[in-house]
Amino acid sequence: MNSTFTEMLEVPAEELSPEKEIFKDLGLDSLDMVDLMIGLQRKFGISLRQNEEIRKIVTLGDVYAFFEKLEAKRRESAASSSGGE
Amino acid sequence: MSGSGRRRVVITGAGVVSSLGATPEELYENLAAGWCGVRRMSEWKETSAPLAAPAVLRENVEKTIPRIFRRSMGRVGLYSALAARAAAEDAELSGEFLAGGECGCVIGSTMGGSGSIAETFRLLLSGRGEEIPATQFFKCVSHTASFNAANLLRICGVVESPSAACASGLQAVGLARDLIAGGVQKAVICGGAEELSPEVNASFDLIYASANAAEGESREEKTTGEPRPFDAARRGLVCGDGAGILVLEELEHALARGARIYGEVIGFATCGCGSGLSQSDASAILRCLELVCRDAGIAPEAIDYVSAHATATVQGDREEAAALRTFFGARVPVSSLKGHLGHTLGASGALELIVSLLMMRRSEILPTLHLEQIAEDCGGLDLPREIRRREIGVFLKNCFAFGGINATLLCSKFKR
Repeated sequence: MNSTFTEMLEVPAEELSPEKEIFKDLGLDSLDMVDLMIGLQRKFGISLRQNEEIRKIVTLGDVYAFFEKLEAKRRESAASSSGGE
Repeated sequence: MSGSGRRRVVITGAGVVSSLGATPEELYENLAAGWCGVRRMSEWKETSAPLAAPAVLRENVEKTIPRIFRRSMGRVGLYSALAARAAAEDAELSGEFLAGGECGCVIGSTMGGSGSIAETFRLLLSGRGEEIPATQFFKCVSHTASFNAANLLRICGVVESPSAACASGLQAVGLARDLIAGGVQKAVICGGAEELSPEVNASFDLIYASANAAEGESREEKTTGEPRPFDAARRGLVCGDGAGILVLEELEHALARGARIYGEVIGFATCGCGSGLSQSDASAILRCLELVCRDAGIAPEAIDYVSAHATATVQGDREEAAALRTFFGARVPVSSLKGHLGHTLGASGALELIVSLLMMRRSEILPTLHLEQIAEDCGGLDLPREIRRREIGVFLKNCFAFGGINATLLCSKFKR
């Protein structure tokens, strides 16, 4: 996750802490957020464009939480689909 | 003020991105040494037209532009911004002045971001539309060269982007002249930029306007053709890319801050043919020559050098030569830089204008590269084939574009 911020958006690694607000503290804007999502989509192989939760993201911690939730959901559905076999 | 009541306009800065040099002086030295920027584009796998003269950038130079500005730049935006920053530095304009509203930015291109447009369509057509970055649109738009340069320099004055194919760069300089002469701006960063793409290159090949296009030749054989303006063996142009950006400034403003002056823009004219898509027309060119002399209030006899459009197409060179022959006879030396640089399309007018300013400063005329045997239909002109020492008091820059558009600009040595 952090590598997407440092490589794609060139945010210095030392700036990356969960309490940092993406727009206010990291100097990014809404276009960067779209590109961030595209980068993360590519990295994690998931589609994010229609996900309404993205609009609620304010801090870097929110981004981490968003993906943790997504990952938990993915595992859950994988487990339930494998359990049904 | 000039006799016409217009404010006098001088050139106080220049910056380039080119196949033969990253500064105007470096470019000039390589042109004078007879270098040619044309190469075979081995990275273009599927093209019938593999020859081009691509700009060469210093390693990682793009990293000198903060990401927040760089993210909206395709290659044409990058070339434009780099050359504009260099021109502003050359003119020693302060950041405060650039951002103060008295400075504008007028930069044109033929295509906008042609490579970025092609990339966008490739993604869309392959079902990968979701991967298109949010900033892609800004790399594609037709004013990408202008707004990217303006934003990098924080310019808050007039920002425009004329698009008239190969006349775009020279029209931009003409528009800048008008903005300053009319008192709208004190200075304008202006010129042209272009990025190569195999799609655009192939378009010239399709209509047999490219040096690549000889019937019956294989793709490999087609890589041997150089652009040969005015030559009996010319068969078409080779596309190039880069940017040529100048700083135009109101004379009194330039004098008050002790700016170094390259020359004065004394005349500009642009006109259509009233018809025509791809073919130049000698009578319309002639009219544009008359208009620019009238605008400057000088006779043709006052002109010491012509920097021709001459792209090395069979028809275009013939028509320009006919117009120049009628207007000047064989009295004025004429040369084209397309043999060295290829045809940099929207960048060509401004890029070649910068080189002509250096010719004027050095009192020498650079010859047309690859001109070995003057074509019969380009005869009756003075076409130097080696560097010639000559005092240049006034020179003419020509540009003629698809769509039947002509543009001409006159510059003189600055005299108080």
